[in-house]
Amino acid sequence: MALFGRRNVLLVLLAVALVLPAVANSYQLYIGNLVLIYTLLAIGMNLLLGFAGQLAFANAAMFGIGAYGTGLLQVHFGLPFAIAFPAGALIAAAVGLAISFPALRLSGLYLALSTLAFAQFTQWIFLHWEGVTFGAGGFKTPQISFDPLPVSKPVGLYYLSLLVAVALYIFARNLVASRVGRAFVAVRDGEVAAQSLGVDLLRTKALAFGISGFYAGVAGGLYSQALNYVSPEGYDLFQIVLHKAMIVVGGMGSVAGSLLGAGIIIIVLELLRAVKGAQEIVFGGILLVFVLFLRGGLISVIQRYVKGWDEPLHAAPPRRDEPPPLAVPATPVAERAAP
Amino acid sequence: MSRLSIRALCVASVGLACLSPALAQAPGVSATSIKIGTFGALTGPGYLYGKLPMNGVEVVFDEINKAGGIHGRKLELVREDDRCDPASAIGATQKLISQDKVFAIVGGGCSNPTLAARETIEKAGTPFVVFASVHDGITTPPAKNIFSVATTSTIESQAQVQFALSEGAKKIAVVSMRDAWGRARYTPLMETLKAKGVKIVADEEMTPDSNDATAQVLRLKQAGADAILMVLYPKPAAIFARDANKLAFRPLLIGQTGIADPAAFEDQVGVPGATAKFRTISMVRYTPEDPAVEKWRKAIETKFPGDRLSVYNQFGIGAAQVLAEAIRRAGPDLTQEKVVAALAGLKDFNVDVYPGPISCSETDHRCHKSPNWIMKEPGGPVKVLGATRVE
Repeated sequence: MALFGRRNVLLVLLAVALVLPAVANSYQLYIGNLVLIYTLLAIGMNLLLGFAGQLAFANAAMFGIGAYGTGLLQVHFGLPFAIAFPAGALIAAAVGLAISFPALRLSGLYLALSTLAFAQFTQWIFLHWEGVTFGAGGFKTPQISFDPLPVSKPVGLYYLSLLVAVALYIFARNLVASRVGRAFVAVRDGEVAAQSLGVDLLRTKALAFGISGFYAGVAGGLYSQALNYVSPEGYDLFQIVLHKAMIVVGGMGSVAGSLLGAGIIIIVLELLRAVKGAQEIVFGGILLVFVLFLRGGLISVIQRYVKGWDEPLHAAPPRRDEPPPLAVPATPVAERAAP
Repeated sequence: MSRLSIRALCVASVGLACLSPALAQAPGVSATSIKIGTFGALTGPGYLYGKLPMNGVEVVFDEINKAGGIHGRKLELVREDDRCDPASAIGATQKLISQDKVFAIVGGGCSNPTLAARETIEKAGTPFVVFASVHDGITTPPAKNIFSVATTSTIESQAQVQFALSEGAKKIAVVSMRDAWGRARYTPLMETLKAKGVKIVADEEMTPDSNDATAQVLRLKQAGADAILMVLYPKPAAIFARDANKLAFRPLLIGQTGIADPAAFEDQVGVPGATAKFRTISMVRYTPEDPAVEKWRKAIETKFPGDRLSVYNQFGIGAAQVLAEAIRRAGPDLTQEKVVAALAGLKDFNVDVYPGPISCSETDHRCHKSPNWIMKEPGGPVKVLGATRVE
């Protein structure tokens, strides 16, 4: 195994994440938690856009539905977080499944516009369904307690986010290396060709939207607790741009790239606090550089120069008596060939 | 890495996390300086309520520092951008408290981000003086260490209704925006009207990006409204005033601090005479051109070349003077608890820019209850009509 291969680097990152609460102040811990939450969002977005090729803009809405679902179930029905959190994620997944049906008839720009309209509609609901969502002023979510564990709420929440992020990262890796993941890629590369190979378009697209919605919903539930406050402006167009930026920077069609993209964008945005007013300019600059010169994202550079970062779409290792199979490119051939 | 070592690492890290030490007391204070944090929008449209008040805070601190500081300590301002976003406001306040180790905070521009950051600041016990956010939830119910010198939504709503009634209005109507900002004012306005037994004759809505108000104006005209309570940003308010004038509908137009500059509003409406019956609230006593604030005009223009003094600068000037007074009263042996106690004990304290005195108490942390009424006669200067005292 390569020393600086993906598995070793990720294990080191995991070790750093595990000891972070012991060495970080509450601000750094909050940022660490945000990185984990946005990693979930980026993975979900990447499964839908990078792997399944669905140009959808509903991720921020799903994120909001997860946050509102989790928070409102606690506030209106008095449910504990342990129940409201998975329920909120499942609501987001169900909405994701529901919006996959128009995706069967739409693609490209039309799909993008219809999902953008859905995101705006969701914002409208958050703002105007006052009796349920508390309108534009938002609402405070109940505090959770990790008793009897001897951890404070921020530390407990951080470890919960870490646990969920690790579990869903592993799930995503296994998913893309499975028959389902290969079906996603087949649909992305050509719907007609995929159908001719026996891929069920309805099932595959619905799965991609549902799973992506679930990831965003889980992230939303954790976010509602990290902020202890839910309001419409947290799930607006800026979030859509942020999520897209993460997978563009990290690398479309790469689970590890999602992690890198989320980490880089969140940390860079925080570091830029020192340079007042420069956040938007630098953020835009980073996006331009990646769109123009590094269309495969950071992961494409790492995969080119460092051994052990390939993400094959096969789970089984190659047999010793056979030459290793070529890794199926995770990103479209056209994008990999781009400068 | 073996499974055993990963497990050991997990156990060790959780254990270490539990042993994190408590923060030391009196953060941000040295023998020669006191670090004060501020947060609000430095970029985007919300900068009016963030960057400009911060500039006001800074010139007050400069003046205090030139005079030797407070008990020999100079005030240092640390700015953080919240982009009018709740998550960013929490990050900003976490950074100010945990990393920059500020002693106190004076800030808060957009309401929802400040409301979201309330819990972080409350838990840390850092003295916090709000300079611009108006959401009632920031100070109600009161958090021990959070005080507001901005006129809150409820106070402004009460002042609008009181003013309309004092001007003899018989048929009052409302035209409002229903976004986050508008809702924060519309709801208490309706509650105040109900509490006073006033039945409105019409209730119209506009969006922040409205380009036409003909329908709203015609409905209000049909209802015979003689006073309109406006819960609008300057742009939709200007559209409304322009269309009302065009349709020969000239009731009393009653604004609030969202339209705090009648001169700029007159320019924005752009129709001579259309703003003749427009009255609005200012959190501050003086117009930027008033000779009484000459000192601050010079200070702002010297420190920030290209800027000219605005009412938003004055929000920061007033808030900084209140916080500085509390630090002064806390004495040389400075602790955050003493400053909080000094803020809670402020009674009839006059600052350079507010229309009335600042009074806080243990149970009421809304310390500014004297909204100022201003108007501008067509072509003339901005005139101060007087303050409404709200209890």
